[in-house]
Amino acid sequence: MRKRAIILNTAIIFGFVAVFLRLVDLMVLNHGRLSERANIQQLKQEDIQVRRGFIFDRRGRELGVNLEVESLYCNPDAVASPETAAYAISRVTGKREDAVLAKFSSKGRFVWVERKLNLEAAERIRKMGIKGLGFMPDAKRFYPKGRLASHIIGAVGIDNQALEGVELKYDKFLKTPGGKILVTRDATGRTLSKGEDMESKGNNIVLTIDEGLQYIVEKGLDNAMLRWQASAATVIMMNPFTGEILALANRPAYDSNSSMNAKDFEKRNRAITDCYEPGSTFKIIVGAAVIEEKEVNLDTRFDCSKGAISVGNAVIHDEHKHGVLTFKEVIQKSSNVGSAMLGMQLGKERLYKYAKLFGFGEKTGIDLPGEVSGWIRPPEKWSGMSLGTIAIGQEVAVTPLQILRAYSAIANGGILIKPHVVSEIRSPDGTLIYSFTPAGNKAAISRQTADIFKDILKTVTEEGGTGRSASVEGNQVAGKTGTAQIIDPKTRRYSREKYVSSFVGFVPADNPMIAMIVVVYEPRGQIYGGVVAAPVFKEIAKQSLSYLNVPREDTNEKNVLVVERR
Amino acid sequence: MLKIDRRLIRNFDWATFSLVILLSIIGIMTIYSATRPLLPNEQPAFHIKQIYWLLIGMSALFLIVSFDYIWLSRFASPLYAAGIVLLLAVLIAGKTGMGAQRWLNIGPLSFQPSEFFRLIFIIFISRYFITVQDRMSLISMLKSFLMFTFIPLVILIKQPDLGTAIILLIMFLSISLAKGLQKKVIALLIILGIISIPFIGNIFWEGLKDYQKNRLIAFMEPDADPAGIGYHINQSKVAIGAGGFLGKGYLHGTQGPFRFLPEKQTDFIFAVFAEEWGLFGSVFLLLVYLALILRGLDTALKAKDEFGKLLASGITFMFSTYFFINVGMTLGIMPVVGIPLPFMSYGGTALLSNFIAAGILINIRARRYELFY
Repeated sequence: MRKRAIILNTAIIFGFVAVFLRLVDLMVLNHGRLSERANIQQLKQEDIQVRRGFIFDRRGRELGVNLEVESLYCNPDAVASPETAAYAISRVTGKREDAVLAKFSSKGRFVWVERKLNLEAAERIRKMGIKGLGFMPDAKRFYPKGRLASHIIGAVGIDNQALEGVELKYDKFLKTPGGKILVTRDATGRTLSKGEDMESKGNNIVLTIDEGLQYIVEKGLDNAMLRWQASAATVIMMNPFTGEILALANRPAYDSNSSMNAKDFEKRNRAITDCYEPGSTFKIIVGAAVIEEKEVNLDTRFDCSKGAISVGNAVIHDEHKHGVLTFKEVIQKSSNVGSAMLGMQLGKERLYKYAKLFGFGEKTGIDLPGEVSGWIRPPEKWSGMSLGTIAIGQEVAVTPLQILRAYSAIANGGILIKPHVVSEIRSPDGTLIYSFTPAGNKAAISRQTADIFKDILKTVTEEGGTGRSASVEGNQVAGKTGTAQIIDPKTRRYSREKYVSSFVGFVPADNPMIAMIVVVYEPRGQIYGGVVAAPVFKEIAKQSLSYLNVPREDTNEKNVLVVERR
Repeated sequence: MLKIDRRLIRNFDWATFSLVILLSIIGIMTIYSATRPLLPNEQPAFHIKQIYWLLIGMSALFLIVSFDYIWLSRFASPLYAAGIVLLLAVLIAGKTGMGAQRWLNIGPLSFQPSEFFRLIFIIFISRYFITVQDRMSLISMLKSFLMFTFIPLVILIKQPDLGTAIILLIMFLSISLAKGLQKKVIALLIILGIISIPFIGNIFWEGLKDYQKNRLIAFMEPDADPAGIGYHINQSKVAIGAGGFLGKGYLHGTQGPFRFLPEKQTDFIFAVFAEEWGLFGSVFLLLVYLALILRGLDTALKAKDEFGKLLASGITFMFSTYFFINVGMTLGIMPVVGIPLPFMSYGGTALLSNFIAAGILINIRARRYELFY
């Protein structure tokens, strides 16, 4: 018995020694390797949640923000009863049942079922407890003002990728690189640690746009579209000294929130992407040039009594015969014959030079995608009639923004400024990253010339001018009407029915707060810029001046005495 | 009665009692750590249940100690019969879990009769062997095997509860050894063992269920299919190896609560413990088990009668076998056989059964000076 007990004790102790040796083997000799394996399987890389920066108007009002949402995905193989699940989900999302079912029969282990569900809908689906479904936190870009300023703000796609507008142009500031972060996970893949740096926010952008002005502009545009049954229309409002775009809108337009459903023609930012032949608004070139070159003075007379003039092998007409006009009246009454005479007096080279000085044929450099340069042919390619036709604004292609910039130069004393929509970019913690600085602005013409021409433009909205209906009570408007024929793409000749009516100007004339262009494409019933576009200008300008609290010029002297009446 | 009680208290084996209580408390702590909630909406209650079972087990222990163990020899046959009936009941009406029927539902309780049967078997065989005079001959070996071991063995394999079946066979052989075998029987057993290894191995292999085959393959080559059959062993080794010298600290283990380690609160609880307490903690735990086993063998030596000796040896062998198979499995030096670590693994039936077994050990030791009347 005792011998057996000794043998047994020895055997047991041997067993324990064996266990001990194995423990040393695993815990000491192989510790490093096995720890490493534990770490590898317990850590996983997870995408950092990326949140685009916000977009604000110049007064800090939100134009582009993010909504916290959840995206629903599935592992098709793990969904037990796809029909039931599809029915239940379609009840919440409102999507077709068979469309949801199709997701469940897709190949692969990760299939999106529904992107960007609001949190309430996600919770309802979560509560159903359907196996094989998963949720991922996501952000949905949301534009609280919908259609407002959509051509400036732009839009993003389902994966928050930039598609249009400022969203696209400033994508590298708005988006964040995101990246991966190591998190601990369990064997079923659940994330166990949530660090604070799981979210990465993009920089916030402050626009030069004023939401209030933008609203006034859009409303004015909608009224114009309704009144004139036009095919399209554009309004740009800019600070003529700084180049800050205060408002910019086009019709047709789209809602940034549903850009996927928008048509291409709705998404086009005509203000900078579409060219038109400007017509009379282009007479600013020849007019300013002859003053700068001292070819004329205000009272130099031009005989326009024939109502027509032949230039090369073409004849340029006035709408009605004006008789003998002073230089000032040529502009005020927008005489084609007079303008053609000015062109011929100036000559090809100088006309071309001033067109270039005013920035035509080149992009303005506005910070929005898709801008075109327009074109003006170099003088050696001009035909015999070009001198006359270019002087009156045909045979050149311009964007509304180029015209507005040229008129801003008159307003600000001759400087060709750089239009822009972003004033500053700030990091999420408020640090200034970028701020617009005007650099390299060149003078197109001298201050004197600009002031002289400004005085002429004032007369356009006065008695005897073509733009009387643009005049605003209490503040003088300086501007110019434009009516241009459109080349019919089929016949390649000027259409008799299709015109572009425009008015461009600034107000108050002597202390300009806003410069604005109104372009109405293919208005019905009336064609003249003075009839079609000028009233739109007036309506918008009047409300904008009131919104900006610009005092009426004619009350300056009267507001000294206020008598209290009993 | 009073007189006996006083002597009982004086002779009470506080060492064994303290060791099993210590192991149970370590077990409950480790169960909590292995199943502790990582995300706020989880509320596992394994450790709470185990505390209840510990209290039940302690009551059972004191109850067993208060009766002379001689009663066990008197009730050995009816106990054995009842045990067989329960095993059959499991086979017929049992609850299936993990491809095997092991559970029996009685009202709200579900328990594993095989956990009790291993104890009943030890009692019964010990009782039977004292009727055998002197050392066991080949005839008496075969007789006792065929009469009393073969039937439960078949039932257990049929369930299939291979773990308990193997334990039962080992119990039979080791209690026979404790009883004493004739020299030629020992020689015969050794020769038989050597010859039959390939032969039995083949039959054995064919008779195995797929998951059992997989476990054996996994044991031989754990890295052959790390995500599949070798997974248990690999994850267990990773957990233990990650512990290192000092361990990650209590409640800082990851393999268990992160669910990489399967059966973390039951069969692989040693790995969870080793990860948190390191080599030092593990060696301490080994010493506690070693102390329990050596104390049990000492009790067997000091028992006042042969029944006590055989019973104490049987129970101690049982603890050792469970310990070595379980720890060997978690260390990857034994095949995966689903048996728990005594006193530590989560599981009420096993804990209760082990406390009864410990109670019998204490009982035998406390009454070592008593005489037959």
